[in-house]
Amino acid sequence: MSLTPYQIIAPFVSLIAILYAWNLVFRQKKSVWEAILWTLFWGSIAYLALKPDSIDYLTAASGIQDRENAVVVTFLGILFFMVFYIVIRLEELSQRQTRMIRKMGLREAGLEKENTVEKS
Amino acid sequence: MPRIVAVIPAYNEATRIAGVIRDALQHVEQVIVVVDGATDGTANVSRAAGAIVIEHFENCGAGAATMTGIEAARAFGADIVITLDADGQHDPHDIPAVLAPLLSNSADIVFANRFGPLRGKSRNKIPAIRRLFNGIGNIVTFATTGRWVRDSQCGFKAFGPKALAEVDLKMDGFEFCTEIVRESAQRKWRLAEVPTKVMYSEYTMAKGQSFAHGIQTALKILLRSFLR
Repeated sequence: MSLTPYQIIAPFVSLIAILYAWNLVFRQKKSVWEAILWTLFWGSIAYLALKPDSIDYLTAASGIQDRENAVVVTFLGILFFMVFYIVIRLEELSQRQTRMIRKMGLREAGLEKENTVEKS
Repeated sequence: MPRIVAVIPAYNEATRIAGVIRDALQHVEQVIVVVDGATDGTANVSRAAGAIVIEHFENCGAGAATMTGIEAARAFGADIVITLDADGQHDPHDIPAVLAPLLSNSADIVFANRFGPLRGKSRNKIPAIRRLFNGIGNIVTFATTGRWVRDSQCGFKAFGPKALAEVDLKMDGFEFCTEIVRESAQRKWRLAEVPTKVMYSEYTMAKGQSFAHGIQTALKILLRSFLR
């Protein structure tokens, strides 16, 4: 069985993504459920790269009939993914702004962490 | 006795919030209102009604306001925090029932359930469109967290000492309801659900999320669960 470069790179990237997800689980930054979803997503990308014929039934509906088209569609998917990654990064900037507004509000109300009320 | 504080995030609720604060004060030691960039005098009305007021000078969203209230409650020395909507759709007289699982130490977090049978087996009259949106919200929440909560999108919740110490909401908008379920699953909080009354009116219906906003929220939640 001869593999194309794409069929080597895609499973390799998928493997790294899956290992990264489970690493986050062990560092308690991701839940097991999220890691399972992540594994299914990247596992299916790797599987489709290795077995492109497995989605023959989709060709009629999607028009993807050969490996070249599958590669184009996959990279479109990755671009889509990257755009949303940027969206999430923008959201993190918005969260930083929220933290500033929160700190100012708490300071004005005299309820900053250092001003905690003693429990009776 | 544990120190119990109610947190109410509010945006332009001057006409409604005073009654909610007064009713809540019958059941809790203090009410903290987080005025989220409101322009209609919500802050002054809340102070007059007896609440501690924290103001966001810009509108940040319901999630951001709730987390601000939780941080304020921690600084205030609260042991238990209960969150309520400011528009009067939740009945503050349900607070004792929602607190009960925390006070008996059988749960770390309590979710109000607007869809469950109330005392006497009666049920809330909830518009069909609201039932549909909440059902979709529950399914998206389950898909992203692996934990099924019958009314995951309800703003009426109670955090016990463990949940209050650990909760750290990052989402600013309405997605925070799903984030709380995620936190409860990841941090292994014991969960209880308590049926409560809900009072829908034209006012509360108009204030709710639109369908487009709901879809946007669902997409954000799904993407976040992947990209986190």
